[in-house]
Parts: sequence; C-alpha cells; structure tokens
Amino acid sequence: MASSDREYIITFDPGKCTQCHGCEIACKAWRELPHGIQLRRVLNLWHGEYPRTTSSSVALACLHCVDPACAAACPEEAIAKHAENGLVTVDGDLCTGCELCTQACPFGIPRIGADGTMVKCDLCRPADGGDSLPPCVDTCPGRALVLCEIPRQEKQAHQQKLLALLKSGM
Amino acid sequence: MNYDQAMNRAAAHGEQVVPTVCGMCGPGGPGGGCGIYAFVKDGRFVRVAGMDESPVNRGAVCAKGHAAPQWVYSPDRITHPLRRIGGKGEGRFEKIDWDTALAHIAMTLARQKEQYGPESLALLSPAYRSYSDYLKRFLTVHGSPNYGHSGICAMQRAFAYKYTLGDYPRPDYDLSDLIIYWGRQPIYSGPVARPARAFLAARQRGAEIIAIKPSVEPDVGMADVWVPVRPGTDTALALAMIHVVIREDLIDHAFVEQWCYGFKRLKAHIRDYPPAWGEKVSGVPAQQIEALARKYAATPRAAIDLGNGVEHTPSSNDAIRAVAILMAITGHLDRLGANLFVPPPQAAPRDIALKERYTPEMREKLVGPEFPIEFQPFSEGLSSAYYRILESVLTEKPYPIRGIIAPGTQPLVTTRGSKNVAAALRKLDFYVVADVARTADMPYADIVIPLATSYEVDHPFQMVPGWLMATNRVIDPVGSSKSIFDFFLDLGVAMGYGDDFWQGSMEQALDDQLAPLGLSMADLREKPHGVACAPGKPVYEKFAEAFSRTSPRLEKDPFLPQGKVALYNTTFEAAGFNPLPEWREPPESITGTPELLPEYPLILSDYHTSKNFSASWQRNIPHLREIQPDPMLHIHPEAARSRGIGDRDWVEVKSPHGWLKVRTELYPGIRPDTVMLLHGWWQGCRELDMEDYPLLDGGANVNIMYSVDRNKAYDPIITAMTSQTLVQVKKWEAS
Repeated sequence: MASSDREYIITFDPGKCTQCHGCEIACKAWRELPHGIQLRRVLNLWHGEYPRTTSSSVALACLHCVDPACAAACPEEAIAKHAENGLVTVDGDLCTGCELCTQACPFGIPRIGADGTMVKCDLCRPADGGDSLPPCVDTCPGRALVLCEIPRQEKQAHQQKLLALLKSGM
Repeated sequence: MNYDQAMNRAAAHGEQVVPTVCGMCGPGGPGGGCGIYAFVKDGRFVRVAGMDESPVNRGAVCAKGHAAPQWVYSPDRITHPLRRIGGKGEGRFEKIDWDTALAHIAMTLARQKEQYGPESLALLSPAYRSYSDYLKRFLTVHGSPNYGHSGICAMQRAFAYKYTLGDYPRPDYDLSDLIIYWGRQPIYSGPVARPARAFLAARQRGAEIIAIKPSVEPDVGMADVWVPVRPGTDTALALAMIHVVIREDLIDHAFVEQWCYGFKRLKAHIRDYPPAWGEKVSGVPAQQIEALARKYAATPRAAIDLGNGVEHTPSSNDAIRAVAILMAITGHLDRLGANLFVPPPQAAPRDIALKERYTPEMREKLVGPEFPIEFQPFSEGLSSAYYRILESVLTEKPYPIRGIIAPGTQPLVTTRGSKNVAAALRKLDFYVVADVARTADMPYADIVIPLATSYEVDHPFQMVPGWLMATNRVIDPVGSSKSIFDFFLDLGVAMGYGDDFWQGSMEQALDDQLAPLGLSMADLREKPHGVACAPGKPVYEKFAEAFSRTSPRLEKDPFLPQGKVALYNTTFEAAGFNPLPEWREPPESITGTPELLPEYPLILSDYHTSKNFSASWQRNIPHLREIQPDPMLHIHPEAARSRGIGDRDWVEVKSPHGWLKVRTELYPGIRPDTVMLLHGWWQGCRELDMEDYPLLDGGANVNIMYSVDRNKAYDPIITAMTSQTLVQVKKWEAS
C-alpha cells in the first residue's frame, strides 16, 4: 500500500520508447475502448532543422498529478485526488462533460467518452484489483513504461520533465 | 506475463487462455513468431498478452499483435469458398462447398497441365513464412518451376552477399561500438523482436548509431547521426565510401592480401567514384561521405545492418556487393563486434520443398527467372520474378502462364505495374485467390478459398532463431475456412498427388518435418511455451569455411571460385555481368533524367513497413486504422509551403506513369527534394465506414507510379524492381 508521501505513477522514459504503439493498442484491447477514445497515446515530436532533424517519442496518459489542474478546474467537484495512493479519479455521476478539465490539463489528457463524461487512464488499479501489471506496462518492449510508487517530489519532477519534452518538440 | 499469471488471470475472469504464436506479421517470418497468451471468453477470442517465456518477444506485444481479434472477426473475412458468376473484375460470386471448390481447381489445373504443360501453372509467393515450403512442394510435384518470388525483399541481399562473401554477414549487435543502419528499419520490422531490442540495447550501452535513409523514422530520431540519402542511390554512396577507404589507405592489408580476390582491379575501378561524384548522385555531402567512411574503417567493432531499402532499385545488386566489399576490405568480417558468419543451427526441421526433384529441364522452363537461369536455383529454390509471371500473361513471352494461385498475396498492390497486373488478371485463364480476408484482386478470381488465421488452427510449429513452438488452436475456424496448409494438402490429394502429401494428414506432415529434431508435434504441444535454444558460443574468423561454401545451383558450384571474397567477381563476369560494382540510374531521377525536372521536380519513393500495418494488409482493422486513418505523403515543410500546401491537405501526386490522391504530413525529417508514402493502401475499414481507395489512378496505391520498363526498371541480375520516380505535388482542387 502507498504510504502517505508516496504516489502511484506510470513513468515514461523517452530513451526506451521505439514508438511501436503497443501500449496504446494494449490499452484499447484490454479496456475495450471504442473508436476515438485512447487513454494512452503515442506522439512523435520533431526537433531541429534539416539536415540535423531528429525526433523523439512520448507515450502519454494521465500522470495522476500531485496537484491536479483538472480537479481544480472542475466546477462539479467530480474529479478527486486520493491521498492514500495519489490516484486521480473521476465520478461519472457528477461529471457533466463540460471539458474544462481538458483545457486545464497541461498535457491535454482528458477526453469525453461515449456516455458524455470524462475518461482517462486510471492506472488499471480498480479494473484489475491491482494484481497484475497494467497492459501498457506489461507489453512495452523497451520497458519505457514503469508502474511504480514514488515520493511526491519525484513525481512532480517527472511531470515537469515530460512537460518540458512536449514543449521542446514540434 | 508468464504462464502462471496468464492461467490465474483467465481463471479469475472466467476465461480460457491458450499459449500460441502471434499471427499478425506472419509467424515464422523474419520479424515474427512472437509468443502470446490468447484469451478466450464465451468462445470468443478477446485479447492477447505477450509471453514472458518466449526468447523472441519476452513478454512484449506490438500494436498489430494486440489488434488480432479485430482481424479474426473482421466483416472482411472470407467465410466460404466462392465461384465467380460475373465477369472478371466484377466481383460477383456464388457460394460453393469445399469439395466442389477443390474439384473445380483440380480439374482445371489437370486440364491445363495436359494442354499447356505443367509450367503453365504459377504460384504467387506470399512473404516467406512457415507455409512457403508446402507451396513450393505443390508446384514441384505438379512439375512447374514458376514459384513467383516477389523480387522485392531479402533474397536480393542474400544473393549479392553470398556471391561476394560466401555467406550473409549478420551484424554483431551486442558487441558493436558502431552500428550503421543502412536502408534498414530495425523497429517496424518486428517492433518487439530481436532487431528492435538490439537497437535499444546498443543505444543504451552507448554504441554509436548511424542511420542512412531518406527520412527520419523513430529509429533515426534516436540515432547519433542521420545520413539523408536520396532514394535508390545507396550504390553511389557505397562506391564513394570504398573510394575514400582505398584512397586514404584505411584498409586491412593482411585480410585483403590473404582473403580477397581482385583488389588491384577494384582499386583502379573505384577511382571513377570520388565523394564529390557521390554527393552529386546521392545528395549526401562529400564531407559526410568521407567522415562516414573514415569512422567505419577506423572503428574495429563496427557493424552494418543493411536493410530492405536497398533492394528496390536497378543498381540493387551493386549496392549490396559494394557494402559487402566495404566490410571485407576494412576487416569487418566475422570479427567481434563486426558482421558475423552465423552457422546454421545444428538440428533443423526436414526441408520438405522437394528441391532434390529439380531438373535442368524444369529450370529451362522458368517463365521469368528471378535470377538468371545459370544462378538457379538460389536459396529458396527455383523462382520466377512475381511481376514477370503476370507480364507473361500479357506478352505471351516466352509463353503465357495459364493458371495462377495467389495465397496470402495481392498482386494489384504488392508488386509494381498495377495497371498491367489488372490487364493480366483480366486476361488470365484461371485465377485462384486463397486468403483470410477480402483482397484487392479477389474480384478477378475464378475460385476464392477462405483461409483460417493461425488463431483458428493447431498447426504448424514455428521455428525462429532460438525458439521452437507449437501453434495451438485458440478458437474454431471462422465460417468454413481452413488453413493454407490444409488447402494445399487437400488440393494435392485431389490432384492425385496424395503420396507426396501425406495422404492429406497434417499431423503426419508435421511429424515428418520435426523428425530430425527427435520430436513429434504431440511432444512439442506438451511444452506450453515451446523449446528455447540458447545460441552457441561464437567462433570468429571462419574464413576458410565461409569462403568455400557451395551454391544451391544444380551444378553445386562454389559461391566463390577463388575461395576468397569476390571484390572482382568472375562468376558474374562469366554470366555476362559487370565483375565490379557500378552505378546505374533509376528510370527517373534527378541526375539520370534532368530533362524531366521542370515537370516533375521531386523524387518519390515508398516505405514498406509501418508501425501499425504489415505490408498491404490490416487497413481494415479499426484499432490500427485509428493510428493512421489516411494515406499520408511525407513532404518537407519547405517543399509544401512553396506549393501552397499545408498540413493534412489532400494533394495530387503525379509521375510520368500515374497519379495518386493522398494527404500531406508536413515532415521536417525528410529530404526537401524527396516525398515518400507507405505502400499497400487500397483497403477500407467497414467498421469505421471508410471506403476502399481506387486501385489505379486517383487512389493511393503507390505501385502505379513507377516505371516497369524491362530495360530500365530492374536490376539486371537480381530483378530488384525500382521504387523511385519523379513527381509533382499539387493541392487537390475538387472539380
């Protein structure tokens, strides 16, 4: 169990991602997601000018931020941050699908699902009772995705690192 | 996950789990053969997990592998044998039963054999798979040499390498300090298999990575250096690199002295190819060519991984042998961290292709030899070039093929010259399509055979380097489909060839193949995650052995008559080809046909692999199509801007041979003088209401864009077909 200063996260290491999209489709298949809904997306980022062009990859899903902007923006208080494990969850009964969370999220993660409420990665914890690895983590050939429990400070640093990577690319 | 986790998970969720082999890039293929746990709920195949115990994928599965259930249950599945009732190309069929279908095919093939000879039957080869030998066996028993090999992958490298070095030099990924990926896609060709893992591991241990290709794919994005070469000009780059290492005396004198033949003649010949010339043709700056040559020559543990990208141009054979020569003269053969001669496994399944029945008479009857007659058979047996088989139907030279079976292959989108292919299929006497799902050329078929996927059958076994595994049945066959193996066994029996086809018993066929390994199929099936075989300890510098190998030609001549690396190739010379590698322009190119540039200023080429589709199939799978819904033309932002074209605009791409309507992706990582797109686009996706694209002009099938001129579009010795041309790109204006 998570102790009070530690939170769950799936960390991402761009140096180990080959942009195979295995995580994205594992998530779609295991969570039976409809067309148009991706809880994890793989992005290509461009850097530099020809002929010194280079690129990097990001496999992006909800990071369950230490200080979630989505929760702060939600007018219905439908998004909750759980102190015991760091998970950020959405209550479908309260969510009205206003998309203020999508605008607030620095990563642009939240999407509106088929039922008109917000959907995002839940780390597969409730779905699987926590007894096996999330399919995206399990399927990654380079082990670029890792489910772990880390101190809040470390998690915040990881959030910043990913944000900087996203902003550095085109 | 591992076996116990898979079992526990299935039990906890009221599901069943079947350990088997993934079928999404073709089990037994070079990148494929990943181990999976397939989950079944209420009789339905629902999802997969990677098998930790498989040494191939070690628990990982790629996007295609995870999308398998959508392929299996696609509305595009062919569920019954069909017989044509409309005109050819119309696509009107009636359902028939298996016995009627087999009898119809057997009767027609017997009649054609009687009337035109057995060579009038050709088989269009799918990519190399575990079933390939069954297909060859059928043709050989029938008496035809016309196995239609694609002429676009793998055998071209094997041929040039073996006739230059005696063996295929495998990069020593694990111990190299420098790996040059040349025309190679280490990730998309099996994203969770060994080459992709080796790429990542090399990067993580700090090996330097250089990528040579026209555009930046994710592997290039992770490389240390990108060498942006023009499509189809790798030969020029390699010749200029040889020039540099010889001019600057960066060669391994001892190795050249003892193990190379014809160095003096190479030295004189290579003077014509300085880096400045290399720059003019390949577009790679002369300084970068020099730096690359010096770096490679000066790094003892340096390996080159040469890919399929060099096999699509009229100078393909010379590109490959120039690279082989570069390895040899710089001392990078069969040494630690360089390119290795990996011995074949000590025990292998029985080869059932019946190559021992080949005769000189059969060889003479090849309708369009993939390699010249005197070099036949090569490693995969006697072969005609895939496109030339279809061409013979139109030209009737040297004689027309009368019957074609196309199992798991789509000539209208696989090979070039689609307009001629369509005409040939219209004219062809008898055409059989055997496939899992609707194909581009199914409307031309006389008989359509519904094939089961590997998830629906309990055969074959898959042997990939390091792993032997039984295919296990996950679900019952969809509709009345049967496996490709069953089809050829049953057809063999129906033709009266039962003695050569185990009287139709698949079990006996597999046991016969496995016998040399001391196993039966039942024994193998008892091992839930197969048999892993650790690689042997490497032995280096096996030069005497490697350079004295015999070729598979009927005469069994050695690959290397001098027992040395053929810098100067007397075998090619005797057959009327240049003994030294030379440059040959593609049919249309910046340096070869400058007169075309005002009208067609950009180079067009295509990709053969992608992260989410295998070749020309899988566009009908919703999960995969979501990643890449439209055919995208990679174009540099500057090239687009100067034409008033934005991102995701629909554009017309026109070459001297045809035109496409595709969408742009502004792509900073591509040469500004080059545009590229993925090959194989035609199929719609019914679940997403996406329609098929036209197969010829106005569609997205890149094969129509290239020359198929007999004198310009092929490599003269290995029939590699060109996939370069010149084009103009214009914003699409709906009229």
